[in-house]
Amino acid sequence: MKVVPSRSNEWVRSVTPQKPASAIIEIDRVSQVFQTSTRKEHLALSEISLTIEEGAFVSILGPSGCGKSTLLYIVGGFVSPTSGAAKIKGQAITGPGLDRGPVFQEFALFPWKTVLGNVMYGPRQQGVRAIEAEAQSRALIEMVGLKGYENFYPKELSGGMKQRVALARTLAYHPEVLLMDEPFGALDAHTRTRLQNDLLNIWERDRKTVLFVTHSVDEAVFLSDKVVMMSKSPGRIRQVIDIDLPRPRRRNELLLDPRYQKYVVDIERMFDESDETGSPS
Amino acid sequence: MMSPATLTRRIAPVLACVGLLAVWQVASLALKNDSFPTAIEAIRAIPDILGDKEALINILASLRRMAIGFGVAVLFSIPLGLLMGRSRAVAAFFNPLLMIIYPVPKAALMPIIMLWLGVGDVTKTLVIFLGVSLPVIYHSFEGAKAVEEKMLWSGAAMGLSPLQRLVRIVLPAALPEILTGCRTGLVLALITMITSEMIARQSGAGNILFNALDMGQYDTVFAMIIIVGAMGIGLDAIFERVRARLVRWSEPQFDMPLSFS
Ligand SMILES: Nc1ncnc2c1ncn2[C@@H]1O[C@H](COP(=O)(O)OP(=O)(O)OP(=O)(O)O)[C@@H](O)[C@H]1O
Ligand SMILES: [Mg+2]
Repeated sequence: MKVVPSRSNEWVRSVTPQKPASAIIEIDRVSQVFQTSTRKEHLALSEISLTIEEGAFVSILGPSGCGKSTLLYIVGGFVSPTSGAAKIKGQAITGPGLDRGPVFQEFALFPWKTVLGNVMYGPRQQGVRAIEAEAQSRALIEMVGLKGYENFYPKELSGGMKQRVALARTLAYHPEVLLMDEPFGALDAHTRTRLQNDLLNIWERDRKTVLFVTHSVDEAVFLSDKVVMMSKSPGRIRQVIDIDLPRPRRRNELLLDPRYQKYVVDIERMFDESDETGSPS
Repeated sequence: MMSPATLTRRIAPVLACVGLLAVWQVASLALKNDSFPTAIEAIRAIPDILGDKEALINILASLRRMAIGFGVAVLFSIPLGLLMGRSRAVAAFFNPLLMIIYPVPKAALMPIIMLWLGVGDVTKTLVIFLGVSLPVIYHSFEGAKAVEEKMLWSGAAMGLSPLQRLVRIVLPAALPEILTGCRTGLVLALITMITSEMIARQSGAGNILFNALDMGQYDTVFAMIIIVGAMGIGLDAIFERVRARLVRWSEPQFDMPLSFS
């Protein structure tokens, strides 16, 4: 793919590449073996190496069970890999840190806290004054489209609503790196599109680094600078594809853009091929 | 205006009590046994007991021991249970100890404890403490074990230290289960309170009850049984109120009928 010069000067990085973007996350030959309950060893990730540049939006795309979540947990510092190492800003990752904010596939909201309480949790923990934390949290709740639900408890929300609370909760404490595990998986198409746009806006404004797990080829191409395709059993990186599409991206323009369409079609074809060759080990 | 469902729910406990007393009345009339007074005779004896200053002091002493034993047990057992639930090492250490203590009836330990600590308040309170501790430890343990890992990860990512995670995530997340243990503990506190006073007769509600039994005052015996029973129902109702308020966020939303016909 050729680099396409951008029409918009907001997308500075692709036009002025003098300053090489520095790596923020380095994953070096990471493997993860799980001991299953039946005492068998299961190789979930095999020799994954990946470098993520500061401010990049990177998607991980792969079939269910290929180890996407596991890889995210390793970067988050929640799981230490069986072999290999992951680094953030040159430092070995030894545990979770405020610089990395996870949005879990299972939401993991605090059920005893209301929506507002959940979103305020991070800022309050960081010592932000209650009034400020509340104001910021209310704005975020509105952004994810849950205005009016501030005092609802998680059990009173639908799956998609919980997912949005989880997203707001993580955004609320401004981690440098977002580790998002299928954060839009449970949403209807309309809300999904809206939140994709919101996420892109936030990202374009704050230039956070985003590691974004998804099943959806469309979504990965639409959002990312780079798409990491994984294959299953054992989880391996199949291919890393740079997405050279101009930013800021607008959905209505992009859907008509042949380059976008080609990325989607190419990546989908690669998946079909891997389906035919892939077999469980 | 109350809905029929609410009305039924309010009346149900009253109906249960009235029904029980009615069965009692009929049974005792049928048996015609001196040691089995009718419900009405027993109820008539209640004002005599509650009007007696001595008896009231006894009952209050019982309640005080029960409150202390229960309170100390809860304060001790919840942290222990939570730690056991989150740390394999702590669980491995305490589980065998608890397994030894579990099957022993706590009142059976009384004679030994009496030898060490005398027949006073300390002994009885200690027995209550032992009775309450086990269910609270057990339920706190189970509750802490069941806390979703990702919730703890979320906390860690927000910068909570291990101790903060225990207090601010494991404790609230396990609270519904912990309170189930406390409710069992409350009933056991009442039981151990009475049995301890049966063994070491010196003061208390159990003392009145068993002395009356020795002297053949059966209406007093049964009146005391009603009083103790009422205390149990009352304490449980108060506890249930507090519990429902604390864990409103976890209550199931729908009353699930047994069938959908
Ligand atoms: N704790 C565990 N113990 C044993 N095996 C595990 C464990 N966690 C994950 N695995 C295995 O590792 C593999 C990868 O799991 P992972 O959850 O990372 O997949 P995923 O790509 O996120 O899938 P999905 O898209 O369905 O969420 C799976 O085959 C799974 O069975
Ligand atoms: Mg996953």
